[in-house]
Amino acid sequence: MVTKISIQNLRKIYDTPERRVHALEGVNLNIEDGEFICLVGLSGCGKTTLLNMLAGFVEITAGTITMDGKTLTQDYDKGVVFQEYALFPWRTARQNVEYGLEIRNVPEEERRRISLDFLRLVRLEEFADFFPHNLSGGMRQRVAVARAMAFDPQILLMDEPFGALDAQTREELQELTVDVWQKTKKTILYVTHNLSEAVYLGNRIVVFVPNPGRIREIVKVDLPRPRDDLAPEFIKLQRHVNDLIRDF
Amino acid sequence: MQTSEAASAPPSLDEKKKKVRSTIWVKLRPVYPFIVILAIWQVAAMQAQGNQGRLFPTVDAIVYRAWELVTGPMFRALAENPNLGLFDQIWKLGESPILLHTLNTAWRLPFSFFIAAIVGTIVGILMGRFAFWESFFVPLLSVLLPIPAIAWTPIVVIWSGIGDQTVIVITAFASFLPIAMAVWTGVKTVNPVWIRAAQSMNADKMTIFRTVVLPGSLPMILSGMRIGLARAWRAGVGAEAFAGIRWGLSAGIFDAQEYLDIAFMMVALSVLGLFGFVLEKVLFQPIESRTVIRWGMMEAMGAQDKKV
Ligand SMILES: Nc1ncnc2c1ncn2[C@@H]1O[C@H](COP(=O)(O)OP(=O)(O)OP(=O)(O)O)[C@@H](O)[C@H]1O
Ligand SMILES: [Mg+2]
Repeated sequence: MVTKISIQNLRKIYDTPERRVHALEGVNLNIEDGEFICLVGLSGCGKTTLLNMLAGFVEITAGTITMDGKTLTQDYDKGVVFQEYALFPWRTARQNVEYGLEIRNVPEEERRRISLDFLRLVRLEEFADFFPHNLSGGMRQRVAVARAMAFDPQILLMDEPFGALDAQTREELQELTVDVWQKTKKTILYVTHNLSEAVYLGNRIVVFVPNPGRIREIVKVDLPRPRDDLAPEFIKLQRHVNDLIRDF
Repeated sequence: MQTSEAASAPPSLDEKKKKVRSTIWVKLRPVYPFIVILAIWQVAAMQAQGNQGRLFPTVDAIVYRAWELVTGPMFRALAENPNLGLFDQIWKLGESPILLHTLNTAWRLPFSFFIAAIVGTIVGILMGRFAFWESFFVPLLSVLLPIPAIAWTPIVVIWSGIGDQTVIVITAFASFLPIAMAVWTGVKTVNPVWIRAAQSMNADKMTIFRTVVLPGSLPMILSGMRIGLARAWRAGVGAEAFAGIRWGLSAGIFDAQEYLDIAFMMVALSVLGLFGFVLEKVLFQPIESRTVIRWGMMEAMGAQDKKV
């Protein structure tokens, strides 16, 4: 397998006038092309920080991140799905999906075709011309996934994208995410608090512990897909991850 | 099943009547308080007839006066020259004082507001985008904002004389201040997640400004425009009176005070009220319902902004 992203000795210190936060220390992680990686850990252990550094939103204090062997630049193509609703309210679902393509000067007709393809992928074709405020929370996040994917990013960064949704919608979207991942073969980094979600989605689960934020263990998930969250192996793995997070 | 049955049954005549009555009522509802006030006015004015009829005219006297103000010059010209052509008759309408007053206010005010909207938007954007301009304008605007613009009238009159220009300067200035403040606030408080989303798709700064910051701050900008228009209206009407110009609705009202012409004042005041109403209906409501309301951005901002 080809290494897509390589993170070495990564450190992050937030220096604010009020306080100094040692958010991440000694993070080493190699991510293969097309892998689905889940990041779990208690609140404040630096998961969002790591994702934001990968997205180029915050600066690296020390260490290196390379993508395809080259140092990470600000402007590589990444898709980001945020926990909050980040759709543009003044654009319809389709126009939202087209945003990244407009930035890249894709001709209008092709933009239209691609955006409809991706809306179909998240099963929202009929809602292409709806404004976000007329869509449910789950639908909005599906549009957000379509928007991030239509841009054809090298990696997809998702920070608790379905955290605000009810359990049923959440399950539906987890299934959809696996479906999208299998069809597009993208590398995905996915932050979650929900361990069942992590075991359901990930090829590997990266377990973080706080103060300072660091990797405790990387758990490989070898269960065949589609995964059954009531199978004994599934529950065993979930319990194992749970123990890792809490007892250290 | 039940609904289809109900729909196919012919509605009784009574129900139909009820429906007609209720739609009429819905249309009349905003008007009826005025009818009540006018009725009270009429009764009170009739009581006062005899001792102070001219100072407290009845509603019909005011309506008659309005008619006379509008058509007076035309009928006078007709009396002099019965063969006056239709076009000339209409031309004479334009000489009626109330129309002249109205027209003068009607171009000065939107013109001043337009200038204020442009300058206010530019200054607001500069403040929102560049720390230098922010630190330059914020203290200035905070000091200027609480001063009623009318208070500048004497200075502006001394500098620029009596005339349209004085009224325009004061009106535009009064409306510029809140517009600049609102645009600044709007630009500064755009949801940062939208900006990050655009950044993640490699939009450059200028593109982010054009495609995210501007539409994202539209609710604030529009509410600033609305406050700006209200301020322009107040300052403009005051400045007309204090700057001593001849034509303009409130200039007319203060003139009429000399002749104790209450009916004229009431007519001019009604036109002023009508003006604000029309501007709201033709300017703000269509823009809002096509943009921020359609996008569901007003709920997010809080309902209080719908009615300023
Ligand atoms: N911009 C910032 N300035 C200062 N400190 C920050 C900043 N962002 C995060 N931190 C701190 O860094 C630490 C890690 O934060 P981070 O948001 O990465 O945690 P997290 O694992 O995503 O937590 P959660 O699960 O609650 O989202 C926390 O202590 C947080 O307070
Ligand atoms: Mg987080």
